[in-house]
Amino acid sequence: MSEKQVPIIAFNQVDLSFGDTHVLNNIDLEIETGKFYTLLGPSGSGKSTILKLISGQLTADSGDILFEGKRVNNVPAEKRKVNTVFQNYALFPNMNVFDNVAFGPTLKGMNKTEIKNKVKSMLDLVKLGDFSERDIDELSGGQQQRVAIARALANDPEVLLLDEPLSALDYKLRKSMQYELREIQQRLGITFVFVTHDQEEALAMSDWIFVMNDGVIQQNGSPEDIYDEPINHFVADFIGESNIVDGIMKQDYVVHFVGKDFENVDAGMRTNERVEVVLRPEDLDLTTIENGKLIVTIEDQSFRGDYYEITAIDDDGNEWQVQATNSATMGARVGLTFDPEDIHIMRFNESEDDFDARLESYEDDDES
Amino acid sequence: MKGKFKWSNLYLVFVFVLLYLPIFFLIVYSFNAGDVMQGWDGFSWKHYVELFVDTRILEIVVNTFLVALLSSLLASIIGTAGALFIYNQHNQLIKNIFLSLNNILLVSPDVIIGASFLILFTVIGFTLGFTSVLLSHIAFSIPIVVLMVLPRLQEMNPSLVTAAKDLGANNWQMLARVVLPVISPGILAGFFMAFTYSLDDFAVTFFVTGNGFSTLSVEIYSRARQGVSLEINALSAMMFLVSLLLVLVYYVISKRSSKGKKRAGTRLVMPATEGL
Repeated sequence: MSEKQVPIIAFNQVDLSFGDTHVLNNIDLEIETGKFYTLLGPSGSGKSTILKLISGQLTADSGDILFEGKRVNNVPAEKRKVNTVFQNYALFPNMNVFDNVAFGPTLKGMNKTEIKNKVKSMLDLVKLGDFSERDIDELSGGQQQRVAIARALANDPEVLLLDEPLSALDYKLRKSMQYELREIQQRLGITFVFVTHDQEEALAMSDWIFVMNDGVIQQNGSPEDIYDEPINHFVADFIGESNIVDGIMKQDYVVHFVGKDFENVDAGMRTNERVEVVLRPEDLDLTTIENGKLIVTIEDQSFRGDYYEITAIDDDGNEWQVQATNSATMGARVGLTFDPEDIHIMRFNESEDDFDARLESYEDDDES
Repeated sequence: MKGKFKWSNLYLVFVFVLLYLPIFFLIVYSFNAGDVMQGWDGFSWKHYVELFVDTRILEIVVNTFLVALLSSLLASIIGTAGALFIYNQHNQLIKNIFLSLNNILLVSPDVIIGASFLILFTVIGFTLGFTSVLLSHIAFSIPIVVLMVLPRLQEMNPSLVTAAKDLGANNWQMLARVVLPVISPGILAGFFMAFTYSLDDFAVTFFVTGNGFSTLSVEIYSRARQGVSLEINALSAMMFLVSLLLVLVYYVISKRSSKGKKRAGTRLVMPATEGL
């Protein structure tokens, strides 16, 4: 992230409670112009609450919410330069498609021709050019979704907020809408803030992801960062499939788990520090017992279309998920192999800042 | 299924015959050439002619409709505002208090409402007449409108309000362009219901009419006490016709407002565009 630019949206130690429930805890975040951001987390993690604070539906208990550097905590929703695509679309049932999209421009006092052109270009953008005279209840879910996007974009927002907009669509439609949303965002060059509980969706669409749990941002980073270097058990478990076992960091680049020492690429921790070890199922390969770094017994397997999901158990009783292109024999004893860089180490209670600082410290060592 | 005899149908027919028999009896005798409801003396328009030259009764008909129209119109406005207030009230206690007060008015006997209005108007020295009738009709119509509008508000997707604000609408624009159109079927139903309640109200009106002003129900009652004139039958027949027309109008309007949904039903299958 470039550091000179003023972020379009920034949160500064934002707190929010509903009665006794702490919904958001000391949230700091920065959002830059023109990127696709995702707030990812399970339900109740506070991700939609952040969206509502940005749009002005909710007011923070404390902390600052900045829009282009100006505090907007008390600016009402209708005066903010952001628009929202709602989870249930919230299209006005008393209006047809044209009037729905024209709602914002009409309130802004645009003249008839301007409104007509605006609505047309927005409907073309979402590929509903021929639908302007349709009533809302004549549309399928996917079409309503598109109208909702067109309606929000017709207001020329600087930031578009999307609150789980794809969750009601079927799998195939959701996939194609993901690509399309990404394309629309890139074509318009405005900022999108997307809320989802679907980690696949988040990884596929985003420039930057905020992983949330219990009202706290657990980790933020590019999809690759978050997938490859999860900071804690929650993130590793929530993003993708993971094998997580306890281990001991004997020294830099040597980790001990399931009774053996392994070479790895992590450093900067105390000697003999207790850690958690993450191995992604797709990084594990089945091999012969002689070549295996671990010896396991095949317990279960299921066909997933493009791969087999294999469950194996080692002699200590740890379960290992493996994704393999070929099927395995049930009950067979086989070897598991992986590369040193496939091992990811997580320290207990390490903050994001400490994590980043540690990475930098030993990456610099490597270069020198 | 066709042609199969069903006991339930017979029962239905029996009930409806029983319900409508007195009205038809009354209407049939309005065409009697004689002056009493005993014995049929042949067909005649005589009582209708009497009715239309009776300027007093015509004036009362106009008054009655004027009161009904004005009271239901004003009650619709006040009742809708009340429903909006109850809907937007976040304090559960206050909300329940207002709802209960509304429902108590709805179920309390007309006699009590009428008597209490009479006492009120007398105490504050208000002259009984058109205005007192209008005010009391507005009063008993408001709860009806609230009752019809509130469910519509509760059915409404609350994110519509949020969406309107999000798109830049102020409170008034949000109300005028989104909320009122969405709940309009409820307001319309409330208006028609209030209108019919006002038209046929006797008990409340009877207390607050005073001298010189009268509505149809009160007039018919006082005339019937002096002995039944078949002119009353003719008038009742006309009223029945008007009620029928009202029901028809309401049916047409509500049909038109749900036309969009009907069209969606017939055009539901659009495979070519379904995936879009």
